[in-house]
Amino acid sequence: MSLTKSVSTGRSVRPRARSSRLRAYLRVDGWGLLILPLLVFLVVIFVVPLGMLIAKSFTDPTVGLDNYREIFAESLYLKILTNTFVIALSVTAVTLLLAYPYAYLMTIATPMWRTVLLLLVLVPFWTSVLVRSFALVLLLRDTGVLNTIAQDVGLISEPFPIMRSMKGVIFGMVQVALPFAVLPMYATMRNIDTRLTKAAQGLGDRPSGAFWRVFVPLSMPGVAAGLLLTFIQALGYYITPAMLGGPKNTMIGELIVQQVSTVLQFGFAAALAVLLLGTTFVLLAIAGRFMNLERMLMGRS
Amino acid sequence: MRTKAISLVSTAALVLSVAACGGGEDSDSLTVTMWGGQAQDAHVKSYFTPWGKQADVSIRQDSPTDYAKLDAQVKSGKVSWGLAEVEPNYAKSACDAGKLEKLPERVIEAAQKAEIDPAQMNDCAIPILQYTFSIAYNTDTFGDAHPTTWAEFFDTEAFPGKRGFWKYVTGGIFEAALLADGVAPEDLYPLDLDRAFKKLDTIKDDIVWYDTGDQQVQLVASGEAPLVQAWNGRITQAAKAGEPVANEYGENLISYDQIVTPKGYDNVELAQDWMVWFLENPEAQADDVVASGYGPASPQAVDLVPEDIRPDVAGGAAVNDQSAALIDYNYWAEHYDEVTKRFNTWIAQ
Amino acid sequence: MTRILTRAGLILLAALIGAYILLPILIILPMSVSESAFLTFPPQGFTWQWFEELKLDPTWLEAATASLRVAALSAILSVVLGTLAALALVRGRFPFRGPVLMVLLAPLIVPYVIIGLAVYIAFLEIGLTETTLGFVLVHTCLGVPYVMINVCAGLVAVDRRLEMASMNLGAGPVSTFFRITLPAILPNMLAGALFAFITSWDEVVVAIFMSGPTLTTLPVKMWAGIRVQIDPTLAAISSLALLVIVGCFLIIGLGRLVQRLLARRSVSSDSTGV
Repeated sequence: MSLTKSVSTGRSVRPRARSSRLRAYLRVDGWGLLILPLLVFLVVIFVVPLGMLIAKSFTDPTVGLDNYREIFAESLYLKILTNTFVIALSVTAVTLLLAYPYAYLMTIATPMWRTVLLLLVLVPFWTSVLVRSFALVLLLRDTGVLNTIAQDVGLISEPFPIMRSMKGVIFGMVQVALPFAVLPMYATMRNIDTRLTKAAQGLGDRPSGAFWRVFVPLSMPGVAAGLLLTFIQALGYYITPAMLGGPKNTMIGELIVQQVSTVLQFGFAAALAVLLLGTTFVLLAIAGRFMNLERMLMGRS
Repeated sequence: MRTKAISLVSTAALVLSVAACGGGEDSDSLTVTMWGGQAQDAHVKSYFTPWGKQADVSIRQDSPTDYAKLDAQVKSGKVSWGLAEVEPNYAKSACDAGKLEKLPERVIEAAQKAEIDPAQMNDCAIPILQYTFSIAYNTDTFGDAHPTTWAEFFDTEAFPGKRGFWKYVTGGIFEAALLADGVAPEDLYPLDLDRAFKKLDTIKDDIVWYDTGDQQVQLVASGEAPLVQAWNGRITQAAKAGEPVANEYGENLISYDQIVTPKGYDNVELAQDWMVWFLENPEAQADDVVASGYGPASPQAVDLVPEDIRPDVAGGAAVNDQSAALIDYNYWAEHYDEVTKRFNTWIAQ
Repeated sequence: MTRILTRAGLILLAALIGAYILLPILIILPMSVSESAFLTFPPQGFTWQWFEELKLDPTWLEAATASLRVAALSAILSVVLGTLAALALVRGRFPFRGPVLMVLLAPLIVPYVIIGLAVYIAFLEIGLTETTLGFVLVHTCLGVPYVMINVCAGLVAVDRRLEMASMNLGAGPVSTFFRITLPAILPNMLAGALFAFITSWDEVVVAIFMSGPTLTTLPVKMWAGIRVQIDPTLAAISSLALLVIVGCFLIIGLGRLVQRLLARRSVSSDSTGV
């Protein structure tokens, strides 16, 4: 649309003055206006109440930066925050490794099997997180189903501890993360024109080469979407980690809930949330340098 | 013709729906919130529904009690909860902060007549049930040769295996640790935290932490943690259901929940009417003991409970005689925050 | 040869993943008919009592209906707002893209307990707590990022030349959108709608704040008792939900099968054909 505009007004390309650069930056076109409904909605329902609560982090219980000072004074909070990111990254990595081949299989499967695969990956959604976590405990604990079977079969001689460690947490969280990765990946993959890979093969590439050089890059937006969703989701989890992990795997969500529901320090809880939010945005910005997330996600640089 | 029919039908529907809304508005209503689940069902059936029928009040339920919600309601003035089951340390600090309605004379008198332990009351709250932190053991693993004191509970050489504790500072952990270290029950409070943490360090690697009632049962019943500091009611019910678990009441630590009215509730009189009725009706409390497994607020109710379950009733002689102490929630009201912080740091190391 | 190997490997992997996902279900289903009041495995005895308790207690059905209502409405609103936003993000120009993007993604990152508390305090003032409207408003905030991210990924892959061709042939931009673009991104919209629906259906933390005696959702009711006691009624509910969903898909699948069979029949028997 902008192309036609400049042609019709006959403006030649020349270095712009400051004010017109500003005007260019502030330009909003027809498509751009469509951001308004969601933006206004979120600002009213989400940003304003959140802002009021965040303001509490500076005023409750005392006015000033005390809450933040305390967060950095005690090594506990930074340790748990680091833990949270490490767990989220691990979960994301494992999920990606499993989700990509699974999504790919979905694209080459027959319609019936595709539906089966789809339903299968959605199964964790249909069961409440509470019941699922309990079932996982029954499965994974030292006296649980998996260990009992493995010992009966002779695979191991004594219980293999999975619970109360990172392994248990990842086992539990990847289950829920899979659909968030598989679906966007699949949705993008099915739109990839298979003739492109065939063309690459026709031009002399091996099938595996065609796959890595043509298919995979084209699937990137889906992968990026899946990664983003999985990682950010995983940051907020605390129920599954609390049930399957040990105290060393505590995630920051649990601390925040504690501050809100039992210790009743809303201001401190809000400060912890600001910490999480800030760190996440910083991480995303850094990742953006290396991966140009926006281009991957939305096709723009 | 068609439009007429449609408008007739819609008017009729409208009238019917309004009429349906109008039913039952003439009786008062009282909203009660407790910890939820089957326990709440038992409590409500035992001592809310009968009163509601008598006083022509409809009982509305909510769960679980959420202190953040309570705070927000009181602050905004739009209180929807008439009675809330809370932990006593919260009741004390909230009462001091003016967030709860103070008890009127008639409730205090009724409490005295019901022989309520004054240590379990404060200006805004009456106790609603009792329970105790006992030593729960797996009967397959230990049988009769099980720990009978907290000192023995902390002895992992004589009694090998993991230990289960509630991941909650008011769960009796520190009291148990101090008793295990030789502190006399009278000298427990204020808690010597340094000493308690040192004692806990001796078994730290063997500790398994639980959050919920069911987790503790699972831990001890499966043998994964054959010794657990548990809520006696859950263990009793599990044993009745055939699980290989039992309570050891040596040095048990009595605890209790209270019930309060948030400040600003518009039907305060009604809530306090219930309180008086509750205190004057030990039969209702006894019904609750049978239904929920918790001990009653009033000792008068213990005698009304069937004999075969009396040995397990917190607040009854069998349990109380072996009790080391009553958890001091005044201490906890003051120190909950700092101890929680210290506990979080210690547990993450 | 390698093709067969890779295919076999993929199928094996998918089978393993499937087993992994199904493991908890294999425990939940037997638990829901076990006689023991405690969640144990292996289950003891057989009884329908937990399902009967669900039938007897009307509040479970009320909670389930409320959850369904809220989730469906949230999903619809999320899809509308999220798709519009995705269009603007991928195709539009507007200033302050960075901050806007942060706001749009923030509901994913801010812990739900904070969102719940903040919105509860605000909604309490204007009386939106315990209402379907209030629930839908806040759950839409939670679900819309999923729609946005999914639709963005789909929009990027849309072939603009098809749209240009459509406009060259005389269709206006709106008509082109509905006839060309929308069908192309429909799978992404549906994926997003699914996530938004499930986020709302399963959501417990914010729901605890928003619920009350007037309106409670299913997760809140299930969550309510956990501190003290969980009983197999919860396993029964999970089993029911699972069976209902699977049943729906089976019905849809059967419907399509029947459709195809009928279509094949009519083609073969119809001499004029299409």
